[in-house]
Order: sequence, then structure tokens, then C-alpha cells
Amino acid sequence: MSSSELEFSSSAGATMGVELELQLLNSRDYNLARDAADLLGLLGKTGHPGAVKPEITESMVELNSSVHTSHESLVRELQVLRDAVADAAEQLNLRISGGGSHAFHDWSDRRIFPTERFQQLLKVYGYLAKQFTIFGQHVHVGCPDGDAAIYLTHMFSRYVPHFIALSASSPFQQGSDTSYQSSRLNTVSAFPLSGQIPFVQTWREFTDYFERMRSLGIVESMKDFYWDIRPKPEYGTVEVRVFDTPLTVERAALLGAYVQTLARYMLTERPRTPSRDVYEFYRYNRFQACRYGLEGSLIDAYTERRLSLQEDILATLQIIAPHATAIGAEAALQELAAGVEEGYSDAGWLRQVYGERKSFNDVARLQSELWMGRTKVHA
Amino acid sequence: MPSFLPQYPLEPNPLLLFGFLLLAGVIGGEVVQRVLAVPRIVGYVVIGLLLGAGGLNVLDARLTREAWIFVELALGLLLFELGRRLDFTWLKRDAWLAATGVLESALTFWLLFFVLTLFDVSPLYAAVASAIGIATSPAVVMVVAQELRAEGQVTERALNLTAMNSVISFVVVTMLLAGVHHEYRADWGTVVLHPLYLLLGSALLGLLASVLVVGFARWLGKSGREHFVMTLSMIVVTIGAARLFELSVVLALLSFGVLSRNLDRRHDLMPFDPGRLGQMFVVVLFVVSGASLRVEDLVAGGTLAVVFVLTRFVAKSLGVMSFTRFSGVRPGTAGMLCLALTPMSALAISMVRGTTELYPEFGTKLGAIVLSAVLILELLGPIAVDFALRRAGEAVAGQKPSV
Repeated sequence: MSSSELEFSSSAGATMGVELELQLLNSRDYNLARDAADLLGLLGKTGHPGAVKPEITESMVELNSSVHTSHESLVRELQVLRDAVADAAEQLNLRISGGGSHAFHDWSDRRIFPTERFQQLLKVYGYLAKQFTIFGQHVHVGCPDGDAAIYLTHMFSRYVPHFIALSASSPFQQGSDTSYQSSRLNTVSAFPLSGQIPFVQTWREFTDYFERMRSLGIVESMKDFYWDIRPKPEYGTVEVRVFDTPLTVERAALLGAYVQTLARYMLTERPRTPSRDVYEFYRYNRFQACRYGLEGSLIDAYTERRLSLQEDILATLQIIAPHATAIGAEAALQELAAGVEEGYSDAGWLRQVYGERKSFNDVARLQSELWMGRTKVHA
Repeated sequence: MPSFLPQYPLEPNPLLLFGFLLLAGVIGGEVVQRVLAVPRIVGYVVIGLLLGAGGLNVLDARLTREAWIFVELALGLLLFELGRRLDFTWLKRDAWLAATGVLESALTFWLLFFVLTLFDVSPLYAAVASAIGIATSPAVVMVVAQELRAEGQVTERALNLTAMNSVISFVVVTMLLAGVHHEYRADWGTVVLHPLYLLLGSALLGLLASVLVVGFARWLGKSGREHFVMTLSMIVVTIGAARLFELSVVLALLSFGVLSRNLDRRHDLMPFDPGRLGQMFVVVLFVVSGASLRVEDLVAGGTLAVVFVLTRFVAKSLGVMSFTRFSGVRPGTAGMLCLALTPMSALAISMVRGTTELYPEFGTKLGAIVLSAVLILELLGPIAVDFALRRAGEAVAGQKPSV
């Protein structure tokens, strides 16, 4: 690994890109299927924007958008990409679905996608690798330089509960209601290199830290850190990784717009300085958001007050509204705010479907119809 | 002798027969699998052959006939499941798959017919034998796929093609019944009405069963256990009703499966998985079908059987190879599909039996052509499917060799 990996490529401010990990289902009982290789092969023959890649198990694929400056172009591209993937899947009698977890699959049935990296992960992490069949959205935002990326990473840490509550869509695991809004992050927490970036202040300090970890053989590359938020030097971005994959690409784009606007607000106004206290309450706040979603509470490290997560999100959306206007994300954030006000979450939608149908097969089926755009329910 | 003691000769009862078949199959299957490392169902067939009229004659012709009801039960269960796999929306999305099914069926019929007549088989026999040859054994493909817990494009496509060619085969054989009736100077009413009665009656029975099963499912609500018992009982009732009305168990259960899925718009019926219960019937299915075959037939009709098997393989492969690549699947899928479609088994035997019941002489001659080929494929078919699914990488990794 050369040190050029740690050279931070500068990106234009307030650009964004989205990665979505998706579920591959069969159309018989809507359990996870294992046809990722066939689907990728078929998609390789048809033209589509962005990219579609394999993920750790054969039941997952990952969609990557291109780099975008506006919510509008992002959502349009994601819709085209979704239609291409949905059509190819149906030709193979498969279904595609959003959501952070599959409601009833058995992790021991999973098979690791046959690439060297994924096989290596199985060797190192054992059953955790198969349990890693969970589905997240990653949002990248562009940063001018490494120091800005470190600053933004620390600033975003306070908002991790927002990201979790807004995207929570993994209430079910292994055929049971977990009582969590996002149960997916509990699985991530089991990995030894999960967690948060150390409290470094500059890119220089960060590279020193990284080199130390590498020389001790703890990591080989940045990919080995499963942090909630991590800088991505080769893209010149900060990557937020705590989102569950939402049930629709439209909601995925809304979350992209939120991160993009928040980044613009942080990097242009520099409203606060990084605080170690944020990390003091970090795990508690993260748990609250995972467990209760919008109904959870949040300890604000800067004021040391307990806030309602729902109200804090709405307040934040107000504060960053001028920046939303500047980058054309106004309508997107208004839509997001309307959902927060009525207490909407994808996890809630899934529980409601289960309450009506009393069958996890039906939950998975309706979830896939929603993602594929075959039914119109909610953005 | 005191009257409370059993009278000699002892009269075996159906329960004893069923239990014995199961036990023999399980033990025999395990032995054959350990010694030869082939799929267990090959072992069941071997035990059947050994115990049957062609072997030790423990299962003589009469007992085999009595045990056939278990075969119908097992076949009915499997055909229902297979029918539920046939997905019309997929066939609409991937028209090339539907085209493959039609083409390979047509090629199999015509090529077999052509070759059999070359070998001096008279046209009517050649036609019925060729029509039976269209069908891939649903039992073998489903059982091997289940035991390997195989999943993927080869598995799904093989099952859908099997469902298609089973339906086509059955319809063609039934239509050819008109010719058989005519040959035996039946009246015109029988010639025309019997095939119609079989086709429409069986399909109607399947329709009725699926309307009822979906209705019951809605009424029961989503409860896995109740749905399982209810679906199972509807399957058994449908098999019994098909026999009662002299209809076809095969077609009735296939259409029951197909319609119960494709008419269930609201998805009221929960997925049906017979699990270990199904495995139990599978053992008996293969033991009895083995017992109804005789190795000496193979000696008598050996050349023709080999010709039949090879021609059928070539025809199916031509059909599959021509169209499968247009479906956009990975290269190599078509080749594995050709192998996966080779098995013949209980379905073919039951179609021969159907004609035997009507005209014993016709059935015996037809059997001489078809059954020795079935015997070869009972043994090779499971190995071919097992190889194809493993080679395609669709079997669950870490599984021990063969089922």
C-alpha cells in the first residue's frame, strides 16, 4: 500500500454521491436469493448510469451514483438506475428491495461472494461476515482538503442520531421484531474496527495515526475501518455510513440532500469547533436513535441538555434552510421535514405492513414492490 | 391352531408395506450412497429394482400395484410444488424462457418420433413414446435441488422448463389417446370425449381445488401451521378426487399448483414447504418406481433404450442451446440446463400405466420401448442433475458430496 492512498484529492465543495446496498430476493417466498453474479452479468450487457457492484454476500448488490451537485439530478439518476436494475432483476425472476435488514432470512444460509477480499473477510471474521448481510446507504460529500474532511467528520458526529432516525428501516431480523427502529447498526458494532475516528484535528495527525495502525498490522487500508463516518481521501470526500438503506431511492436522495446541505453549512459557516464531549455521549445517543428513532432523545454535548431527536432535526433543518436554497435542495428538505413532523419512518411503514399482513413473506414482497416502483406508497 | 393366532399365509397390510418400503429405502439409499458416492435417490431406485419383480420378487407385481397409491401421493405433492414454481409473470418478462420450453418440447417429440420410426416402431407407438419422452422427471429435479438446497438461474430455469414440458407432455399423450382408442376400435364418442374429459376434467378439478385453498387460506388468516395442514389436506383430497372421477392425478395436481399461485392475487396462501414429510414420500416414490422396472427389459430392449436416451438428450440440448443465451444468463448456464433436463422417472411410468389400464396389450408394448429408457435415466438422471447444479455453483457450499 503506497502512501498516495492517503493523499487527499480535493473535491469541489458541496458535491455528493450515494451508495446503496440492496437486497436480492426470490419471487417465490421473498427470501434472499443468491443470484448477484447473474444479475451483475446481465446489467453489464445493458447501458445504465452510475455503477452496480457485488457486495459481501451473493444476496446483495450495491448501486453507486455519479457525483452530483443537486438533489434533482441525483434523484433522476437514481430512478433511472433503479429502473435498469429492476428490469434486469425481473428478467431473472428476482426482486430487489430496500430496507436495512431482511425480515426473515437465516444468516447461516448466506454465501460469501467469491472475490479474494470477501473470502478474506470470512476467514478473519467468521460468522460475523455472513451476519453482515445488512444493507446500508453511504453518502459521500466533497471536501476541499484533508483538514476540512477531519473537521467535517467531527462535526457530523453530533448528527449521527439524525441520520439513524431518518433512515431507520431494519426493525426485523431473522423472523422477529427486534423492537429497534434500526437493528442493523447492532450488527456493525460487533466488528472490532467499527466505531469512530480518533479525536485528531488535522489530516497530518490522521495520517500519523493511520500509519501507526498499519505498521502494527491492525489495518491494511482505509477500507478496514468500519467507522460510522470516515474520510475517503481518494475520492476527496467524507463518507457517512450509518444510514439504513431506505425503502425507496427517492428517500435515499432526500438523505443525500440533507447531508449535502449540512456539509455546506458546516464548511462555510464553521459554526462550532470539534468537541471531545460529543464522543462522550456518542454511543448513548446512537443507541437512543437506533432503539426509538424519531421518538428518542439526544444529549447535546455543546449545551449538555437532553433534546427530543424529532425536534432537534426540525430545528436543524430550519438553521440550514438558507444553504438548502443556495444548492436547490429546498423542496427536498421541506419534504423531509414534513415526514419528520408526522413521525414517519420506514421502520414504521414495515411494522404497519406486518401488522396488516401478519406475514414476513408479505412484508418482504411489498417492500420489494415499493422499491422497484411497482406500487406508489411513500417517498 | 387357536383362532386368535394369525392365519397362514400372513396377509401384509398397507401400513406394513409403507413402513417396509420406507425402511428399505432409507437403509438401501444410505448403503448405495456410501459405497458409490451417488445421490441417495439412485440408491432408492436400486433397492426398488432389487426388491421388485425383476429382482428378489419381495415386491411382486400385486404389491407394487398396491404401493402405487403412495407414488401418486408423493408425485401429487411434488407436482403441486412444481406447479407453484411455474410463474407466468416470469414467462412474460423472459419470453425466451417460454420459447425455450416450447422449442425443446417440440424438438424432443419430433426427433424421437423420427428416430423411433427409423427403428421400425409403428407410428402410434412411436408417437406416444415420444410424447412421454417430452417430460423431464419433476421428482428427480425437485428432489435433487431440494437436497442440495440449490438456488440460482440453472435451478429455477430447470424447474420452470420441467413444469412446462411436463404439462406439454401430458397434454400430447392425452390427445394421442384418441389414436389409441381408434386403434382398438372404440366408438367415436370415446375417441373424442375421453381425452377431452381427462384434460378438461383434471384442469377443472385443479381450478376448484385452488379456489378452495385460497378461500380457506383467507379465512384462516396468516398462520403457518394451519396453512400447512390445510394445503396438505387439499392436496390429498384432490389426489383422491382425481382417482374417484378417473381423472389424471398428474394434470389435476399440476394445475392445482399453477393456479393456486397465479390466481392468488392477494397472496393469501402462505408458501408451502412439505419439508421432512415430503422427503418421506420421496423415498417410497423412488423405491416403488424402481420396483416397477425390470433389469431384464433392458437386456431385451437395450439398443432401442440407448437410442431413445441419446436422441432425447440431443433434442433437448438443441432446444435449450438455441434460445437460452437470449435470456441474458451467464455463459455455461445452457449446458448445465441440458444436463438438468435429462431425468425420466415416475411421471413417465405413470403415463405408461395409464395406457396399460385402458389397453393392457398396448401398454405392454409401449412399456417395452419406454421403460428400459426410464430405467437408464432413473440411475443416470439424478447424477446428471446433481452434477449440473453443483457445477453451476448453485448447491449450498460446504455440503458433502451428493445428497
